Parts: sequence; structure tokens; C-alpha cells
Amino acid sequence: MSGTTHPSRRGFLGSAIGFAVLAGGGLQVLRDAALAQPTSRAVNAWVTLSSDGEVVIRFASAEMGQGVNTSLPMILAEEMDADWSRVRVEQLDQGPVATFGNPNTGGILFTAGSSSVEGYFAIMRRAGAHARRILIHSAAQAWRVRPGEVTTEPGVILHRASGRRMEFGAVAALPQIVTDVPPVSDADLKPRSAWRLIGTNPDRRDIPGKTRGGTVYSIDVRVPNMLYAALALPPVEGERPVRVSDTRALAVPGVARVIRMPHAVAVLAERWEAATAARDALDVEWTTSSPFRSADTEKDLAETASAARDLNRPGVPWEARGNAPDAIAAGARVIEAEYRTEPTYHAQMEPLAAIASVDPDGRGAEVWLGTQSQTVSIAAAAQALETTPDRIRFHAMQMGGGFGRRTFFARDILRDALLLSREMRRPVKVMWTREDDIRNGWFRPATAHHLQAVLSPEGRVTALRHRVASPSVLAFAAPQRWAAANNRDILVMEGTESTDYAIPDFLAEHVILERRARVSAWRGIGWGPNLYAREAFIDELAEAAGSDPVSIRRQLLASSPRGLAVLDTVVAMSDFGRPPPRRAHGISFAGYKATLGAGVAEVSLNTDTGEIRVHRFWAAVDSGIAIHPKNLEAQAEGGIIFGLSGLLKERITISGGEVQQANFHDYEPMRIHEIPEVRIRIIESGAPPSGAGEIGVPMTGAAVANAVHALTGKRLRQMPFTPDRVKQALST
Amino acid sequence: MPTLIVNGRSFSVDAEPETPLLWALREHLGLTGTKFGCGAGLCGACTVHLDGEAVFACQTPIEAADGRAVTTIEGLSNTGDHPVQRAWVQEQVPQCGYCQSGQIMRAAALLAANPRPTREEIIDAMSSNLCRCGTYPRIIRAVERAAGEV
Ligand code: FES
Ligand code: FES
Repeated sequence: MSGTTHPSRRGFLGSAIGFAVLAGGGLQVLRDAALAQPTSRAVNAWVTLSSDGEVVIRFASAEMGQGVNTSLPMILAEEMDADWSRVRVEQLDQGPVATFGNPNTGGILFTAGSSSVEGYFAIMRRAGAHARRILIHSAAQAWRVRPGEVTTEPGVILHRASGRRMEFGAVAALPQIVTDVPPVSDADLKPRSAWRLIGTNPDRRDIPGKTRGGTVYSIDVRVPNMLYAALALPPVEGERPVRVSDTRALAVPGVARVIRMPHAVAVLAERWEAATAARDALDVEWTTSSPFRSADTEKDLAETASAARDLNRPGVPWEARGNAPDAIAAGARVIEAEYRTEPTYHAQMEPLAAIASVDPDGRGAEVWLGTQSQTVSIAAAAQALETTPDRIRFHAMQMGGGFGRRTFFARDILRDALLLSREMRRPVKVMWTREDDIRNGWFRPATAHHLQAVLSPEGRVTALRHRVASPSVLAFAAPQRWAAANNRDILVMEGTESTDYAIPDFLAEHVILERRARVSAWRGIGWGPNLYAREAFIDELAEAAGSDPVSIRRQLLASSPRGLAVLDTVVAMSDFGRPPPRRAHGISFAGYKATLGAGVAEVSLNTDTGEIRVHRFWAAVDSGIAIHPKNLEAQAEGGIIFGLSGLLKERITISGGEVQQANFHDYEPMRIHEIPEVRIRIIESGAPPSGAGEIGVPMTGAAVANAVHALTGKRLRQMPFTPDRVKQALST
Repeated sequence: MPTLIVNGRSFSVDAEPETPLLWALREHLGLTGTKFGCGAGLCGACTVHLDGEAVFACQTPIEAADGRAVTTIEGLSNTGDHPVQRAWVQEQVPQCGYCQSGQIMRAAALLAANPRPTREEIIDAMSSNLCRCGTYPRIIRAVERAAGEV
């Protein structure tokens, strides 16, 4: 039942925040001091009641902008019948996975794959119903009536027969509460018609703090006596420092020490400015033997493409229905095409940072980290110190963006903070600069897609084969999971399965190549590249079949009513195919796990510069029951902008093993003047809730490529669609 | 030793004169609402006001701020009720929130200088600030909402 949340953070931040608030007027400080301590009482693992009427609801996902701090507690509050205005929310820092794990992310505390609402919906409902039952039984005992006669209204327990009422908060002050209540079954949950909270749009709980500079990210954490560490990291992955001259670095005032680590050289200083200045003054000679020295994104992508094309190279089947290779061999009319994507970087706005304060015995620590997985990070910390997880006191901080960058991967910087803190016997904050973050990024890998399809004489798609060539992301990011995965890489291949499309003979397969860079999931995971390739190809098939982009998709979606609904909706929203002069529309169907969507892009093109302008983007999204429709809309909108940014502008290149980009001047995400007008319609199919954080990404690639084709007759076969590449396509 | 006047209070900061204001605020004064995003004047996460004008704190050495009025997100209003902050709440702008101090400071400076900006002027002013979460449409709506109220 235990589990810890944030309050401890207050202590050490007190001085900083106290100052900040005093400078702004001092009101908050006074109010805090005047508060008497009310009694509080844990009702179950998720809910604590306070005698002043406050209901504290915990949530186990990690907040990185997606709004789980509001959507997850809303689900619980609904079943508990809590008064939302009296609810306070708390993110879980750590806790037993049996109680708090997300069944959709391996049963641990791990926030990824848009799975928070999907995975916790049933858990939060049952926890809320359980808490409500405890309140009812406790009040019934106090009133000496049968629990069956007691009911609730938001924030209040009622015994109608006698007219007695008890505020939720009063339960906290009862001499005794009844926790031994009959188990909650699904039949005990509220019917949808009784929902008061789910489906409404209360303000997000985190937003006031985020408009006042009060939200604390890991990069903001300051601990008394803390040292700052800047790292000199190798120019190429895998190189090690062989010679370090640190005379100049040590002469920088405030520098405490220079420490050579196996993979880096750390400079520790009393101030961050000193740490970075000293790092820049270091003279480090690195080994030159890393196999990654030969990494070259341009050459590697050409090889990736030929591996996808070479049907003699075996692929690992991801999804097979019927027999696509035979159907293609026998097909009278076979269409083939190739698509490619280049590596992208997360560009989360908060560069990585980790803070560790190792105990005097070196076998335990307090840790502050923005991470998508509390469980994995705690295990990584324990491993770094060769200790057990119970010795790690963990603070899961608000993340300044995740997008896949902080899934399993915050572990290196966390390890460094721990080892340096143990060595220095002081708390240490390791920070990466933006340059560190890009040059040592974990990128969405380049992919090549070889697609083949059979068209029947009536123009139906009767077979489809989608071969994806790329390194395995899972093998690098989560080696333990990979060991048990049978070469099936969910982080690359998911999305290719195309189960919404009725295609009798189907094969999706993965040609696994050696990794040439650090690789990871990126918002949209495999769905982004895979759906760009497939949906651009579907438009080619429509053209070859003498059909059109909408008809062919309607035919393919014939047995998917939800799929048809999003498609038809976006066609109507956009008045598809009737753009203003000099613009064109492109459409893409998209899925993301159980969520379905469809998007239409309206583009124009400057043929002199090759610059694509996306003017408007419409999307219809069905992610099942919408807990908080406005937030869902915000997530879909953000995903679309993220996707467009990637496909229009973003590209990581590597030469001689070195990442060529360094900061936002040469890796520049979309700015405000470049965005289209975005219109989202949420379709409530009544299906169980699924995620919305990523559905925006996979619909963007093909929508834009297909629109450019409608405008110019040219196919954009490689992402990103940068001006030089567009001009090249126009000239062929 | 440069003297900084931050949110109406004076501090002498024990740091080299060329130290970026960003680090003086964050590390020396504990005002962590001003964020580090790039350190190169490219993202706007560090935007603060210097004598009322929006500047990149990462590009402003403390000697250049010596004796001038610095306003950070913590000092924009007493209780978070500056019209721009209110509009940010009403439009539910932030997602991860990391860029938002900078966005708000940029928008507040714009409206102070130009209380009724056109949509074009809003977009033009806000284009120096990146938001990776894609909150731009709501930023535009929030600035439009706050316009005229400052
Ligand atoms: S941190 Fe100053 S502009 Fe990015
Ligand atoms: S809200 Fe996350 S970067 Fe803007």
C-alpha cells in the first residue's frame, strides 16, 4: 500500500520558493504559515482524506505535459463521487508495482506509448469505487445504519431515511474507518449515464504553477551544499578519454575537481558557469577506435534502402495474414514503391539533468529526476550504487517534455550523478547543455520502406507487403526486453500491421540492421514513419487503380466502422479536394494503437525555393471515451504540430560518427509563424479510452506528401521534405 | 560586484561581470522560473524584462543589467494575475510548461509596448520563442485575449 509522493520536495526548496514568493509579495508564505495541520487519513493506496475536506488523489503516470495530473485523478474522483473542487492531486514518486504499475507498460511505473488513461482507466475507477465504499461503510458504522441505505453525492455521504449527511472530510476525523469492505466488481461501477466529471473540461491542475514559474523541473532542483557537474563527452559514441590535461580547468575559480570517468570527463564546481567554463578549458584526448567512427547517415541510409529492397535478405515477420509473397509473385498487377525517413531528435525543451545525494555509506541515495519511468530509474540507481531499490529515495520531477527521450534513457545521466555524488561526498547536479543533448541524443533511426501491392482487375488492393529496414530500437533502448522479444521490435514495427484495412494477403516484416547511432522511440514511435510510407503508397495505389484517395480508403476500411467514421468526418470537415486556388489537399488515415484518426493537410508550395507551406490541417480523432475532451484536443493538436515540424524541418546527420547539429540554429523545431491553422474533431465512439498524445504525429507525413503530389504530380519519398529535397523532386 | 535589481529588490551578485543573467537569476538568486533551453539566444525559454523590454537572459551579461530593472516571471505580478497569466490559464495554454515563463514574458512585453497588436504582430513577436509541445495555437489565442487588458 505504501508509495511516496512529493511533499518532501518542499523542505529543500523552501528557501528558493520563499524568496521567489517574497519578491512577488509574500502572500503565499504567510498563508502557508497560518495553516493549522488538519488530520489526514489514507483511505486506500490512491486516496487520502483530510479533515478539512480535501481529497488527495494520487496518480502513477509521470507528467510531461500530457495532462495526466488531471485526467487520471478525474477518473478516480468520478467513481468516488469526490467534489472536484476539493481534490488535490499528487504524482507518485515511487511505490510497489503490484499496486501502482500500468498493466499496459509491462506492469511497472512507466509512462509511454500514450497508455496512461488506457492502462489506468479500470484501475482508477475501481480505486475510486473502493474509496467510496469505505466512506459509505465508515459513515454507516458511525450512524449505526446498514451500508446499503447510505449513498453519496459529490463530496457528501447521505442517509436519506434519516436525513443525515457527512462531508467526506468528516470521515477523516472519525475515530475509526471501515477498510474491510466487500471487493469492488465492475458491476459496482457507475453506468456512463451517471458520470458527472468524465467528459467535462475542468482546468488542468498544473497550469497555474506553470504560468508563474513555480513548477519545479529536475533542472531547477537545488539542494544545500550541491555541486554542479558539466561533462566533457566523447565526440563519437564509444570513445574513451586517454589523456586529460586539466590545469587550465582547475584554475577556473570555483572548480572543485576534474574526474575522469570511463566514458567522459566530469568537471565539478560550485557554480554551473564555472563548471562549463572549466569544461571548455579542458584538453582531452579521446581514443579513436570506436566502430561508430564510420557512421555516416547518408551512406548508411543508402544501405538501409538496399536492404529493404533486397528480398533475399530475410525479414522478421511482424504481422502476416494470408500469404503476401505468393500473392505478389502470382499477381497480375504489382505496384512497388520505396519511402525513407531520416533520423530525428526529440528537442524536448528541458535539457537532461539529474540530481543525486548519495548517503555517507555510499549504498543509498536521494534522487531527483524527470523520467518517464520511476520504476526503471530506481532500478538503474540501485544498480549504479550496487544496492537495493529500497535504498533509493526518489523524486519523479515534472518533465520539460519527454517525447520518448526520457523513457528508459535518463539512466546514463542518473548514473553519472550518483557516481559523482558518491565520489565527492556531496549532492551533485549533472546538467547537459543543449549541445550535449543533441550531440549525444538518442534519435529516431532512419528507416527505409519497401512496399509492394497487388491490384485486382477491379482496382482492389488484394495483397500488401511492407518491408521496413532499420536498426532495432528495442535492442538498444531496452536490452532485457529485447532478449525476450524474439526479434520482434515493437518500437520500430508497430503500426505496419494495418489491421483496420481489409487486405486478404498481408505481410509486414523488419529487416534488422546494425545500429549506427543511439536510437530511441520518438513521439509517434514506429507509427510515424510506417504510416507515412503506407499512406503515401495507398495514394499511389489509388492513382494506379484509377480510384481516388478517399474511395480507396473507404474500400479498405469497409469492415472498420470507427475507421470509416474518422475518415468521413475529416473529409467533411476539410471539404476535401476543394482547396482554394494554388493549394492542394492530401489525406491520411492513421492509427495509434487503439486510437484512430484521419488528417487532411492543405498546402501550397513555393516552386522557386522548394518551401512547403501547410496552411490548414484538419483531424478527426477517435480515442474512445474522452475523459477530458479539451485536453485531448490539445494533445492531438500538439502532436500534429510535432509531426509537421519533423517532416518539414528536422534531420539529424552524422558524419565520421559525429552528430553534425549542435543547437536550435541547425536543428530548429517549428516556430509559431510556421504552423497551420489546426482543427480537431473528437469522435466519441464509446470504445474504451485510449491515448491521444501521439495520434497527431502519424497522420501528418502522408497528408503533406499526398497534398504535394496533388499540387505537383511529384511524390515526396524521403522525410524530411526540406526545400532542397522538394526542389529535387520537382526537377525529376 | 554588479548590483541587480530583480523584481524590485536589489542584490549584489558575487560573479564575474560577463556571467549570463540567466545563471545569476537561477543559481545565485534561486529564481528558477526563468529557464535554460539553449544558452544561445535561439529558444526564448530564458526571456525576462530588462527595463521593461524582453531580452534573452542567456545572452545578457550581468554587467549589462547592472543597476537596471530586471523582471522575471516570479515578479510579473504579485499573485499570478497579470492579464497575460490570466489569459494563459483561461486558454489552458501550457503542456509541459517549460517554455511558458519565456512565452509569457515575451507576450507581456509585447502588450506593454503595443496593447492592441494585430495577429501578424503577435505571431511576429512570439516567433523568437520555441514550444516543443505545440501550444502555439493557444498562445496566439491567449495573447489576443490578454490584448486590451494590459
Ligand atoms: S536559453 Fe536563452 S534563448 Fe534559449
Ligand atoms: S509547453 Fe512544453 S515546450 Fe512549450
